[in-house]
Amino acid sequence: MTPEEIIQRLVAELGDDVVESETSYDVATVTVAPARYADAARFAKTTRGLDFTFFDFLTGVDEGEQGYGVVTHLYSPIHKHHIQLRTVVPNDAATLPTMTGVFRGANWHERETWEMFGIVFDGHPNLVKLLLPDEFEGHPLRKEFLLMSREVKPWPGAKEPGE
Amino acid sequence: MGLSDKVEVPPPIRFVLNWGRKYSLWVFNFGLACCAIEFIATSMAEHDFIRMGVIPFAHGPRQADLMVVSGTLTDKMAPAVKRLYEQMPEPKYVISFGSCANCGGPYWDSYSVAKGVDQIIPVDVYVPGCPPRPEALLQGIIKLQTKIQNESLKQRYSAEPLTVEAG
Repeated sequence: MTPEEIIQRLVAELGDDVVESETSYDVATVTVAPARYADAARFAKTTRGLDFTFFDFLTGVDEGEQGYGVVTHLYSPIHKHHIQLRTVVPNDAATLPTMTGVFRGANWHERETWEMFGIVFDGHPNLVKLLLPDEFEGHPLRKEFLLMSREVKPWPGAKEPGE
Repeated sequence: MGLSDKVEVPPPIRFVLNWGRKYSLWVFNFGLACCAIEFIATSMAEHDFIRMGVIPFAHGPRQADLMVVSGTLTDKMAPAVKRLYEQMPEPKYVISFGSCANCGGPYWDSYSVAKGVDQIIPVDVYVPGCPPRPEALLQGIIKLQTKIQNESLKQRYSAEPLTVEAG
């Protein structure tokens, strides 16, 4: 199935809850409303013809003013096609329905995204820290997170990271 | 060690005792990242630190004289390093191997990496590099052996902090 056809199938199912869609490098990226995020994954997994049964990863992206993006990459071993399911949650209400009911493997990915970005996954069976020490405070992959070493000593390189 | 922690032993005896200690360093490799591979390379036939009396067969920290911390020490791992160091019997030595163990290395501004293993345990020799070549570890071992050779047993076996300079 081509990326365009995949997008059409999702739009037909979710309607206006598909906020945005694009294709790059032969991979469809479909942005859905936060409330329908797990539904979109369930539809992509269980619909004949799509068959996205392989859960690759789920992670977060700090998109500044726009909120926190959450990206899930799914793959179909049958049809050998990919999809990136994306959603954006607002900064002040970073909450998403959990995907563990669809893919059990999403458990650790959601725990990591929670501790790194502070995105709460409603209904997650065990939302506790995965990688960080228990006493760690803050969400280190948020751009607002201050690195103490940087506060004490400015970046010694010629260019800022990302410049 | 009986009297040796109360009085200075005569220099010839000190020489012999230190000579014996410096050539039987049972080493415990605290491998945390890619530097551990360089440590293993140093123990293999090409560089072969066993010829210098460094024995990489310690079953654990309780049987080791020397700990080589090779790799990136994270804040989460730090308590384990401290605990295993405390399990080692005196006299014990630490080589900090590689930039990460020395000061945090390329991860100096990370949220998760400790700013050097010397923040939690005393270090005798620092080996710089990212990762250092096996020859650098051999050089570090020679430095440590020089240090052991010049040590005062009285200081080493008493509770006083060690203040011997490498000669």
